Amino acid sequence: MKGKTKKLYLLVLAVISIALLAGSLLTPGMAKHESIQEAMKDAVLHESNRIALFGMEVNPALLSDLILVGTLLLAAVMIRLFVIPKFRDKPGRFQLLLEAWVGLFTGMAKENSPHRNQALGGYIFFAGSWIFISTCFELLGIQGVTTEGASISLPAPLSDINGAIAMGVMSFLFILIGGIVANGARGAGSALKEFSLPISMSFRLFGALLSGLMVTELVYYTISLSILLPVFVGIMFTLIHAVIQAYVLTMLTSVFYGEVTEPPHPKAKAEHA
Amino acid sequence: MPLNIDFQQVLLHLFNFVVLFGGLYFLLYKPIRAFMDKREGTYSNMQEKATKALAEAEALKQEYQEKLKEAEADIAEMKRKAEGEIQEARESELEEARKEAREIMAKAHREAMQEKDKVMHQARKEVRQLAEDATRKLAGRSLLDLYDQFLDQAEGNEPHETP
Repeated sequence: MKGKTKKLYLLVLAVISIALLAGSLLTPGMAKHESIQEAMKDAVLHESNRIALFGMEVNPALLSDLILVGTLLLAAVMIRLFVIPKFRDKPGRFQLLLEAWVGLFTGMAKENSPHRNQALGGYIFFAGSWIFISTCFELLGIQGVTTEGASISLPAPLSDINGAIAMGVMSFLFILIGGIVANGARGAGSALKEFSLPISMSFRLFGALLSGLMVTELVYYTISLSILLPVFVGIMFTLIHAVIQAYVLTMLTSVFYGEVTEPPHPKAKAEHA
Repeated sequence: MPLNIDFQQVLLHLFNFVVLFGGLYFLLYKPIRAFMDKREGTYSNMQEKATKALAEAEALKQEYQEKLKEAEADIAEMKRKAEGEIQEARESELEEARKEAREIMAKAHREAMQEKDKVMHQARKEVRQLAEDATRKLAGRSLLDLYDQFLDQAEGNEPHETP
């Protein structure tokens, strides 16, 4: 492209952008149906903006959850049927991505629980993938309709306290079952000793995702902040806390799993006797 | 409930998670890990075999080197022996040749002496014969001459031809 043509295109693009910006600032918008306080309160408590699902009124995060679970299962079936049978020793790009993804969690499981890690690898593969993908889900801005008829952007499933509790409890139950299978009553005892684990895991997840959600809500609420800033706040914050939360939960789960499934040391037994 | 915690929704989330965990584990994680483990096993086996083959090759090399050294030592020993044998054979042949030469020389000398003796004997014999002949001629001529002179005188100055 010649220099002059390039400059012309850039000029046209700048003029269109300025015209759109001026238009969006000068055009009277729809009246906000809730204040910033109400929006924040709703982000935490989900008391309003509920969605009808199979005859129940549920938080929008549950719908996000269902959509994501269905999509991921469908994708898993497609990959299992059409991609995995074509795996080669010299991998292609997609195979490399899948292997790196599985290898990442397998490595973490082996590192933190060297004696017992097959199921742990599978669990943290699920949990890490779920936290990362479900957190990124809010970037898609898929719309849902509330029972009051308002349109809302479906949130990340874990930004709902119920979803976060479910994930925390499931991780704790997984650790507890692993402890019982590996060490019987002793394993159950070591897992139950960390009774605060499900609560801390749940609220850590909820807090992290909620803080991201609140920041983005705040940014989107004020039109003057909705120029350029959401690109960084919306995308970068979401991606960063998706990675961090996936890492934190999988790491905690694998560390605790490794502790409760660790075989008893003969030395300690001898000393005790 | 505080924070709008709803156990029904928690259970629904849990149900979804369990289904998703099972699905992802059996559809993706297990087959991909099995494939990776199998490939790792294959490469480990290959590496193990290669290491074993390398060790065997090293051992063989060592063995061959030792054998080579032994063979070189054997060859050197055999060469030394062969050289010794060759030297002995050469000396023996030389000695035989010398002996033969001496014998030839002795025989030649003997024969030469015999020839010489024979020649001398022959020569002596011939000389003696010559001497005898000469003596006989000298003696015979004088008698004949006298006889011829007698006959000439007797027959009249005509010289008589001596046979």
